[in-house]
Amino acid sequence: MADNKTKVAGRKESTIDRLGGQKFIVLLVVIALFIFFCIFSPNFRKYTTFVSILDYSYYITLMAIGVAFPLMTAGVDLSIGTGLVCYSLVGGYLITFHGWPTWAGMLISVLFGVGMGVVNGCLVALMDLPPFLATLCTCMITRGLGSIIVGGFGISWPAAAAPGGWFRSIFKIQMNGINIPIGFLWIILIVIAMTFVLNHTKIGRYTLAIGSNKEATKLSGVNVKFYHIFAYVISGFFAGLAAISYSAIFATVQPGTGAGFELEAIGGAIIGGVSMSGGAGSITGTLAGVFVICLLKTGLPFIGLTANWQQIITGLVLIAAVLVDILKRKKDRA
Amino acid sequence: MGEVILTMKDIDKSFPGVHALDHVDLEVRKGEVLALMGENGAGKSTLMKVLTGIYKKDSGTITYEGKEVEFTNTREAQDAGIVIVHQELNMLGHLTVAQNIFIGREFKKGIRIDDKKMNEEARKLFQRMNIDIDPKETMSKLTVGKQQMCEIAKAISHDAKVIIFDEPSAALTETEIEELFKIIRDLRDRNIGIVYISHRMDEIKKITDRVTVMRDGTYVGTLITKDSTKDDIINMMVGRVIYEDPKTESMVPKDAPVVLKVDHLNAGKMVQDVSFELHKGEILGFSGLMGAGRTETARALFGADPIDSGDIYINGKKVTINSPQDAVNNGIGYLSEDRKRYGIVVQKSVAENTTMATMENYMKGLFIDKKKEKEVAQKYVDSLATKTPDVDQLVVNLSGGNQQKVVIAKWLTRDCDILIFDEPTRGIDVGAKSEIYKLMNQLAADGKAIIMISSEMTEILRMSDRIIVMCEGKKTGELDISEATQESIMNLATREIE
Amino acid sequence: MGKIKQNPFVKKVGFNRIVLCFVLILLYGFFCVMTQGTFAGIDRILSALNYAYFLGFLSLGVTFVIATGGIDFSIGPVMFCCALVSGYSLISYGVPMAAAMVISLIVGLAFGIFNGYLVAYWSVPSFITSMASMNIAKGLASVFTKTQSVSWPQSAAEGGWYRNLVKMGDIPTGLIIFLLVAVVCAIVLNKTKMGRYILSLGSNKEAVRLSGVNVKKWEMSAYIICGVLVGISALFYVSAYTTVQPGYGDQYNNEAIAGCVMGGTSMAGGLASISGTVIGVFIIALLQEGILALGFTKDYQLIITGIIVIVAVFSDVLSRRRKN
Repeated sequence: MADNKTKVAGRKESTIDRLGGQKFIVLLVVIALFIFFCIFSPNFRKYTTFVSILDYSYYITLMAIGVAFPLMTAGVDLSIGTGLVCYSLVGGYLITFHGWPTWAGMLISVLFGVGMGVVNGCLVALMDLPPFLATLCTCMITRGLGSIIVGGFGISWPAAAAPGGWFRSIFKIQMNGINIPIGFLWIILIVIAMTFVLNHTKIGRYTLAIGSNKEATKLSGVNVKFYHIFAYVISGFFAGLAAISYSAIFATVQPGTGAGFELEAIGGAIIGGVSMSGGAGSITGTLAGVFVICLLKTGLPFIGLTANWQQIITGLVLIAAVLVDILKRKKDRA
Repeated sequence: MGEVILTMKDIDKSFPGVHALDHVDLEVRKGEVLALMGENGAGKSTLMKVLTGIYKKDSGTITYEGKEVEFTNTREAQDAGIVIVHQELNMLGHLTVAQNIFIGREFKKGIRIDDKKMNEEARKLFQRMNIDIDPKETMSKLTVGKQQMCEIAKAISHDAKVIIFDEPSAALTETEIEELFKIIRDLRDRNIGIVYISHRMDEIKKITDRVTVMRDGTYVGTLITKDSTKDDIINMMVGRVIYEDPKTESMVPKDAPVVLKVDHLNAGKMVQDVSFELHKGEILGFSGLMGAGRTETARALFGADPIDSGDIYINGKKVTINSPQDAVNNGIGYLSEDRKRYGIVVQKSVAENTTMATMENYMKGLFIDKKKEKEVAQKYVDSLATKTPDVDQLVVNLSGGNQQKVVIAKWLTRDCDILIFDEPTRGIDVGAKSEIYKLMNQLAADGKAIIMISSEMTEILRMSDRIIVMCEGKKTGELDISEATQESIMNLATREIE
Repeated sequence: MGKIKQNPFVKKVGFNRIVLCFVLILLYGFFCVMTQGTFAGIDRILSALNYAYFLGFLSLGVTFVIATGGIDFSIGPVMFCCALVSGYSLISYGVPMAAAMVISLIVGLAFGIFNGYLVAYWSVPSFITSMASMNIAKGLASVFTKTQSVSWPQSAAEGGWYRNLVKMGDIPTGLIIFLLVAVVCAIVLNKTKMGRYILSLGSNKEAVRLSGVNVKKWEMSAYIICGVLVGISALFYVSAYTTVQPGYGDQYNNEAIAGCVMGGTSMAGGLASISGTVIGVFIIALLQEGILALGFTKDYQLIITGIIVIVAVFSDVLSRRRKN
């Protein structure tokens, strides 16, 4: 049929490709950024800064790992940011106002996330709504819902010293007055686990297949609808986990916030090599991409730029990452 | 020849505006190769899609292994042992060969996909088929021919009892076709029923046992291959029209001026160093197999894809073409092979489509003069005999042939001197086909220069004054119609290039 | 049902639009009954209209973008950015009122050009540019105003004449201007080359390109129109409410898109109705006002609007499924 589908084999692999392609470049960018901030700000060169970078990285990384799956099906999930706040509010509300044990509140956060994932998945896979529109709607809905359920007030999960505050030590423990960010250990484990899921299980395989060519996947007898929905469930599940990490790191969660978190996560995933057009991506790359965002987020104030600048720069970085993806595909096609 | 394994009886299927299948019968036996033949649009592919559950039949029965069946999706058909090797490649470009072959039924080790075993099985499969493909290679890096082989490997790996090949040879080189035939014979000897859809008469004679012929969505009849001649089959396929009616000599005067000269055109990998000339009043046929780079040449010439190097001269003057706009301004019109995607805006009316390329002629100040627009559209509807209730009709409601006429009208309003027809009769029924031919001949007689890309040999031989043959992105030959034969063209189209 | 659709009057006005008008009236009646008549007062209507103006311009703008098959959900924050940047210039830098209004339009235009250029010339998915612009707009507004809210002058104050945009004495100038702009939009969309190409490329971009049309230019122009309308919208927002706070505006995205898709504009592109959008906007504005009148909070507005968009888009999906 279309002659232009053809591609001739044997594009030479460059050194960068062999070292992991975009992932490698992103890692260099992370290191370069780190060195840059270290040089230009003495205050940045402190252990506490390092810990605070990691503090910020948890919820963004978790969201980014989750949203990588819808992205790889050539979709997107915009509801993760406000979703995170909503799940955290609901969990915290049950703990502080209804005396639920902490673990139950955490479970509710995650289950709520999974539930929203199912809703998003159904809207996209069963009802054929454009992913960005469907999840934009659920983004607004979760924002309203969280606020309504808790009655419009900010919620504080138990403090570290308070009863039920044990969950905060999942991410950070104090030893001899020094904060040790053990959360990063969990992040590494999750990255390994999800890399396995992406590359060695049906879920990952079909996620990529759907993003690569949904019709062909369907014709191969794969239950495309199920796996398409599942990608959004993963996204929701990780938004739920992100909610827990967010609650553990920050003192109070305010209703009505959370818009914009999704940009950081999606930006991280795309910088890390997850293709906007679906079908390709990696979890380790996503992790590296997230650190570009986190470094900017924590580093910019150190060189005198406010959080508002960070918002602008994140937007521009996202565009830049997508342009790189587009140019790469253009080059591949030629 | 074995017992009957599959019977389709009285199959009926309509789409809005088209009666695609009109009570069609088909019978496949174990250990035989059944050819399913018919012109483009005769309903072969539709029939197979009904069989494998992609389309739902309106009426009729399908009996498979003695039981009446109705598949609702390809998975069910596959599980029952009926698989189809599609005409269009259904590959997942980002995944590897082995991952493609076993998609939907991966080997597992616990919850883990056993890629090692999949690679191993794929390697064994290729060994059995005697072809050399690395199962770990990424699919999109293979050539079209190799991708096709993977599709076939996938079908074989299903442990199928009936395999349908839907024009498998279209993209293959001659050696690859030989390999394919070896594989098919091997399958036949293992008592598998095979349906082979093709246009190529020599292949039919070579590989098949029986031939079932369809025409315009109806069942015509079935012949035993070895007892029938090529003419028997052709007569059944075409019925009333004389099928082979080649032009014997060029209709172009010797001194006709060159309107278009393409000099060493390069564009991507599919257009390498292509040079040719086009004369006033000439129909220049572009022949070649799928993936030969003909469409790419046309698209580059039209500015739809970027040109890497090379010069284009129109009426002796060098021109720069960087976009379709430039091409149109230089008097080139392009009728795409894929009308629905590239030719028409289906949700718009006949009038709006007709004036698409010439909006500025229908402006009254800032506004569109809809009255004038409709008058012009009506004029072309009349002169091209387009069948439409009125010019406000949405193009989506017209038949393929009439849609094509709307596209032609679009370029005629622009008064283009050079027209590129890419597969002008694809998906168009026989009657409308000859009208399009008449129209093209008329245009050429009026002094337009036409490039016609076609995969149908008969169309090339019937319409062209001169023929350019391409293979793997290169021009491999140029033939005057008086010296061109099916064989000489095919020879050039499959030539191995060093 | 089929018979009603064949009626010449219904055919001319459009079945969907008639249904929408009924919905509008029913909704109004519903709120009147539920609030025991307090909703029927002129104040409520004026308040709903104030809401409808700025939302209407957003909705008209995004109609053009959706007609090309794209999306822009940066419009809310961009509108706030326009209002904040121009307002801050007015208050803190002493820029004259007329110039401040021009600044608002220019900021909107700039975002329109930014989005349009990336989408049309670089084929960046429109939802990505939306996401980026949304954050850039919020950040820019916060940086420019040093994270302070801006209050435009009151009617009586110097330069307060701008508030005549929504109401001049007893004349609802806002309504008149909005309807006039809507008529202009309808003419642009249906009667001009630009509109024709915007709709056609929304339906099948490649076919239009291969007809020798400069699709990039026309696609970008849709975003530019949207940007300018967002700039206008900002002026109507401040005329109605005077105070703007940085960091907000997201909720209006969904409301504007809701008005647009309810009015029959297809998310798939190629089909758009300005009159539908106008009625859709009135329904949304009335609904927001009604929800508050019934004693619910803004949060319910978010949820209900979200559900409306889902339902409206899904019905569009269904009607396309039926056609195929």
